[in-house]
Amino acid sequence: MRAPIRAIAAVCAALVLGGLRPVMAEPVRVFAAASLRTALDVVAADWTAAGNPSVSLTYAGSAALARQIIEGAPADVFLTASPEWMDAVEAAGLLVPGTRRDLLGNTLVLIGQGAEGPAVTLDPSLDLAALLGDGRLAMGMVDSVPAGVYGREALSALGLWDEAEPRVAQAADVRAALALVAAGEVPYGIAYLSDARAAREAGEAVHVAATFPPGTYGPVTYPVALVRDTAGARAFLDTLASPGAAAVFAAQGFLMRP
Amino acid sequence: MTLRVDIAHAYPGLALEVAFDAPPGVTALFGPSGAGKTTVAHAVAGLLRPDRGLVRLGDTVLTDTARRLHVPPHRRRIGCVFQDARLFPHRTVRGNLAYGQRRADAAAFDRIVALLDLAPLLPRGIAGLSGGEAARVAIGRALLSDPRLLVMDEPLASLDASRRMEILPCLERLRDEAGTPILYVSHAVDEVARLATTLVMIDRGRVRRAGPAEALFADPALMPLFGPRGGALIAGTVAGHHPDGLTEVRAAGGTLWLPALAAAPGAAIRLRIPAQDVILARTRPEGLSALNVLAATVTGVLADDAGVTVALAAGGPTILARITARSAAALALTPGTACFAILKSVALAQGGPD
Amino acid sequence: MSAPFLSPAEWQAVALSLRVATVATLASLPLGLAVAWVLARRRFPGHALLNGLVHLPLILPPVVTGYLLLLTFGRRGAVGEWLDGFGIVFAFRWTGAALAAAVMAFPLMVRAIRLSLEAVDPRLEQAAGTLGASPVRVFLTVTLPLILPGILAGAILAFAKAMGEFGATITFVASIPGETQTLPSAIYALLQVPGAEGRVARLVWIAVGLSMVALILSEALSRAVTRRVRGRR
Repeated sequence: MRAPIRAIAAVCAALVLGGLRPVMAEPVRVFAAASLRTALDVVAADWTAAGNPSVSLTYAGSAALARQIIEGAPADVFLTASPEWMDAVEAAGLLVPGTRRDLLGNTLVLIGQGAEGPAVTLDPSLDLAALLGDGRLAMGMVDSVPAGVYGREALSALGLWDEAEPRVAQAADVRAALALVAAGEVPYGIAYLSDARAAREAGEAVHVAATFPPGTYGPVTYPVALVRDTAGARAFLDTLASPGAAAVFAAQGFLMRP
Repeated sequence: MTLRVDIAHAYPGLALEVAFDAPPGVTALFGPSGAGKTTVAHAVAGLLRPDRGLVRLGDTVLTDTARRLHVPPHRRRIGCVFQDARLFPHRTVRGNLAYGQRRADAAAFDRIVALLDLAPLLPRGIAGLSGGEAARVAIGRALLSDPRLLVMDEPLASLDASRRMEILPCLERLRDEAGTPILYVSHAVDEVARLATTLVMIDRGRVRRAGPAEALFADPALMPLFGPRGGALIAGTVAGHHPDGLTEVRAAGGTLWLPALAAAPGAAIRLRIPAQDVILARTRPEGLSALNVLAATVTGVLADDAGVTVALAAGGPTILARITARSAAALALTPGTACFAILKSVALAQGGPD
Repeated sequence: MSAPFLSPAEWQAVALSLRVATVATLASLPLGLAVAWVLARRRFPGHALLNGLVHLPLILPPVVTGYLLLLTFGRRGAVGEWLDGFGIVFAFRWTGAALAAAVMAFPLMVRAIRLSLEAVDPRLEQAAGTLGASPVRVFLTVTLPLILPGILAGAILAFAKAMGEFGATITFVASIPGETQTLPSAIYALLQVPGAEGRVARLVWIAVGLSMVALILSEALSRAVTRRVRGRR
């Protein structure tokens, strides 16, 4: 039975060795919130194409990323949707001083089922029960996912939270909440404008039914900071604030913070 | 109630084709290992569908391949005792015994328990039972399912000699008192000699002979099939017990002396005379230690590769003697010759058939 | 006034987890037994396919399984819509959480039961048949008692897996306090909040404690049953 064992060993070796890519110029390692994927991929690709080092992008939930950085994961740049988690990394003394800034903002919207749908007026007079029928309102987790937290804030400001709370279905993240709306399992959900645009671009059957009035929540902030001070990281950080990047982000529905 | 078996079945290495009738009593399927006896037993029990054939018990057809009829085992009312006792580990002895009872019948339960001497075992689990005890429980369990026929497939094969001796009397009682016909598969001559009413000799998938046990045991032509333990069966009556440890038995050919028997005076018993232990003499011998000397007349002489079998009439029943060819020639034994048979050992095949 | 060990919402999550795991285990036992029996005792075209299907939840990412459940049993799902007519609803209800837990735990249960079925001496069942027991009676009075330790092991494994099930549950029925926010969901939610490590630790201790109790109970039960089934002296 030696031949099969040798074959298995060969496959294992290939997998391990194949994973070791030759390191030429050090890539810039960016940890970013998952909701930034579509836009950030474009910005990073453009930057590398312009002759800069490659960018290694890691997308995950803000909490997971922050914990990993705290535990020593190799990140150069941290771009998150949650100021609280940026605070936590800062409190651990892991940020390069003076590099933290608020990069992006976002708009909170009410998403409806189907590619088209009636507009909804979001004000205290809204009959949420009638709107939802016997369905539920999909949101990210209202205690932790930023879009969920802001969603609850906005509904509270509009005096609709008490009515909404028992009808909420909390999904693991905003993308999951959008998936529920797209699948028709819930009639409405709350997400960021950027998420809605990304979903529509991907062909999912959702539409923006209403935009939450500014002032009822937020402001939504995406802080960015350097975790390691390298030339490449600083250069990338500057690019993120450049007009070229701003255009990409804006097209995806993000707001630029000055 | 007669069992009729007429089946054919092919295995790799064995093509079985047997037909026989089993009248009431114990019908022994006798033959060497691999002869096909277990196949026949399984076909009768319904555990095997033969390629072709018929199994009928009394008026009930159990298997008829021509009509694609095969009654499943659980509807046949045929009790089986296997070589491995197959007792249910999650039940006590009592639980095992009662498993097959259709209705709770305390009288039948007590009767079988008494017959097989199972009373002290009842509350016990099966893990600690000896081979002999397990075999008795298995027999009792099969009996309590009220079968019309009992199929026993080498039930004593995994027991040592003393255990076997322990159980054979139970089986004899079964034959005589329980009233259920029994199909008994075995390759052990002494078991068959003691128990069989009818003998069906199977060899390499074919029936060599079938008929009453006493007749077949006395047939010199069948001696090679019985091997060294073969010998004639004769019936006798216990005349009495003597204080010096001998029992006197009256048989048709004369009086026989055996070491003390457990039978009561007047009891009918069956004796087996191992042919190898019969010495022949032309004149009545004097001063021998052997007690049993019978006057006999030669009725047949049959030679084979291993020696010579001499059939003798000793006042009625046939006795077989196994001697060397040289002795046969020296004694000039031919049918009709008068001689004497000295029985060196008389084995007891106790409790003859009615 | 000291803070309570767990908040009411957290106790609710614990209670819900116990309920969901218990229902999931009990409800899938009959089907698990049936499938294990078919896989152990019958050969038929499609045997390998059935075996593969049963093991799918072990191989697929839990989120994928959850999504498949959503498509099938959600309000708009193929089966879910039909069941809605009978008043059986899984979407966003604890019944859905139980379904997700049951599906994820099913392969473990089937494996354990199948193994114990394959260990039963078929000659015992044969003997029972010759004693007049119909195939159903043989199963109930001989096979079932003998495989009881295996069934117990399968049930305990399934219960433990159901208690810890997260990915499929949250994808299928989201996290709704009181309905579908099970213990793992509550732990996950707390992990998303900076500084909640203390509360996470308390919940984790509860989860570990429950698992240990289940394990110890199952060992004791299993030993008792095995003793009975192996045959006393």
